[in-house]
Amino acid sequence: MGKGYSRKFLAQKMRCERKERTYQLTKMLLSRQTLAIRLLTLCFTVYVSLALDASHDIPESADENCDFKLAFRKYQLILSWELKNRSIVPTHSTFQYTIMSKKESMKTVENCTNITRSFCDLTNVWQDMHETYIPMVEEFRGETLLVQCLGSITALNLSFEPPDFGIIGFADHINVVVQFPPVAPTIYGEDLHDQASLIIKEHSEDIDKRHEPKISGSFSGNFSYVINNLIPNTNYCISVYFEPRSSRTITKPPLKCVLLQPAQESGSSKSVKIVIVIVIFVSVAISIILTLRQIGYVCLHTEFPKVLIFHNFVVRIFPELPLSEEVNILEVISINKKKKVWGYNYGDESDSEDEAPLRTIAGGYTMHGLPGRLHSQVRTSPASSQASHLGDPADEESKEPERETQPQPQPPAAQGPSPGQKEGTSEPSERTEGLPQDPCPKVDDGNSSGGSGDKMTFNVDLNSVFLRVLHDDEEDSEEAALVLPPPEEVVDLEEDPQEMESSLLVPGGEKLQVLFPNLPPECLWTGDDLSDKSDTSSSDVDDIRDGYIMR
Amino acid sequence: MANRCILQIALLLSFSTISLSLSYKLLQAQQRSSSLACGELLKQLKGKPEYCLKDRMDFKFPEEIKQPQHFRKENAALVIQEMLQNILDIVRKNFSNTVWNETIVENLLVELHQQMDSLKTLLQEILEKKDITWEDTMIIPRLKGYYWRIRRHMKAKDNSICAWTVVQVELSRNFSFINRLTDYFQD
Repeated sequence: MGKGYSRKFLAQKMRCERKERTYQLTKMLLSRQTLAIRLLTLCFTVYVSLALDASHDIPESADENCDFKLAFRKYQLILSWELKNRSIVPTHSTFQYTIMSKKESMKTVENCTNITRSFCDLTNVWQDMHETYIPMVEEFRGETLLVQCLGSITALNLSFEPPDFGIIGFADHINVVVQFPPVAPTIYGEDLHDQASLIIKEHSEDIDKRHEPKISGSFSGNFSYVINNLIPNTNYCISVYFEPRSSRTITKPPLKCVLLQPAQESGSSKSVKIVIVIVIFVSVAISIILTLRQIGYVCLHTEFPKVLIFHNFVVRIFPELPLSEEVNILEVISINKKKKVWGYNYGDESDSEDEAPLRTIAGGYTMHGLPGRLHSQVRTSPASSQASHLGDPADEESKEPERETQPQPQPPAAQGPSPGQKEGTSEPSERTEGLPQDPCPKVDDGNSSGGSGDKMTFNVDLNSVFLRVLHDDEEDSEEAALVLPPPEEVVDLEEDPQEMESSLLVPGGEKLQVLFPNLPPECLWTGDDLSDKSDTSSSDVDDIRDGYIMR
Repeated sequence: MANRCILQIALLLSFSTISLSLSYKLLQAQQRSSSLACGELLKQLKGKPEYCLKDRMDFKFPEEIKQPQHFRKENAALVIQEMLQNILDIVRKNFSNTVWNETIVENLLVELHQQMDSLKTLLQEILEKKDITWEDTMIIPRLKGYYWRIRRHMKAKDNSICAWTVVQVELSRNFSFINRLTDYFQD
């Protein structure tokens, strides 16, 4: 029994020892795994941290030490920096830079090494505006490096400082003069003109107006720009600045203000402006119409109404002046004819008319014609009339009785065509017009028809001709006072009108005095005068010789 | 009759030229504004180029685009479109791997889409006119090679922060080139 217990005890002891060993082994293994896990975790952490910061070979705080600013100042590309920690006071600085597009080492700038200033002129250094530049500034005190600054600069960071400018105010405009350098400025190796635009801004009360003058060429020398159409006696403020094409960063300058003068514009300049505007408007309108008409969009009538015919415009406004009145010296030939007075008795005539027949009865002739017989005279043949005019006086006398029976023609004014006189007016209407010309022939300038020899034949416009008879003989005052009787009474109406006129109008002055020396100086004929004086002259003034009356 | 036809054609040409010049000016203004906005958005992203100098790489941007001499607006439009498309692809596909601000990246993507839309009309006109020579199209493969190098660099660096930072700087440079190319729209 003792052997059995001891065997069981030994077996249990062995089991315990195994368990303990297993436990210890397990415990040992667990501790090792933990360590491994810890190691792995550490490795992972290190890995991650290394992965994140693998490329950082520059202290991470280097970019937080300085503020970099890139500006186009005074037409130069200036990079300036400023330490954030103002307690650090370096004695000198060194500037270096590199680019991001290539693997290049840091480059030093000759003029920016060991400098005491905090900016560097990079106008001729940075030549690629598309590049991302990495500036590095090291601040030293003596030989000790105090701070290292890093940054990244692109063209988007560039700010254009405004140019210097002046303004001159006038009544309604402002002259802005921008001062550029004599040599065209460049930026990133290119002309400033290609990189930025010049902007002039006008501020008035609440209104802002932007002007972008077009500058041909480059920004060099002084540039003048006029802002027009401003309100006089108003305060205007002007600002001038560059607007970059590769950036939205704009540095606006302080405003320069001016109070415009009160308006003193003269009326003449206004009127000139108005005239110019009208002329331009009319010319543009005409050119448009002509162009459209040429194309065919507009079809204009070629036959204009009379109102629109402008080539007669001048004629209508300034009608032809009447031709100057011509004065021709004509000789009036009076034909003295004697008419036999037959013993006619007009018992129905008035008392005053009875006197003449009483005087003329002695000679056997009477001065009275018989009005109303003209028509019958007119109807007589021209041949007979010509014969009576040119023929023997005896023949003439033989025909006189026939004429005596004819009624005395009415004065021209009274000879208008009437229904009762249709017979007479129908045939020789010309004759009725020509008859008054006989004693005082009137010359029509345009209608005169030529004659031959010493005879001239005229068609006379009675409305425009005056007749003056040349005479100096005062002895024949009675005859001078004579107003010629109506030609109807004088001339044989059977004569051809032309011959009748030609017989009376003979050029030259001698015959006039011989044949009719006592012609009155004024011989302005009117119908009334004719009718009145025919009677009075025959009764009072006419020279009655041997029963004949001189006409 | 002939004169009328000539005048009509001249008027039509002048009007169309005026309208086209106006549209090109508008397009120029849009492109310039968008490229400036994209550059500013990229600048807002978290990244410090000065700490990633070891990861710098020359991606060899095509020199004929960097300093264009005989560029026409058709060339410019074509190049800008290709650049915008590649930038969009780079940002969109690798966006999840960046540590950038999501809002800024989304705004950047929106701006890129707008910029590409504004170019679409002009590109359609160019393609319809077939006003592109074989030499003009030779730029495109070089551009594709440039962007392929950018992608390879990011892959090589496992989209590390510095790799993204270097790419960010390169994309900013791209927008500066695009801004310059828009100057050709006014010709």
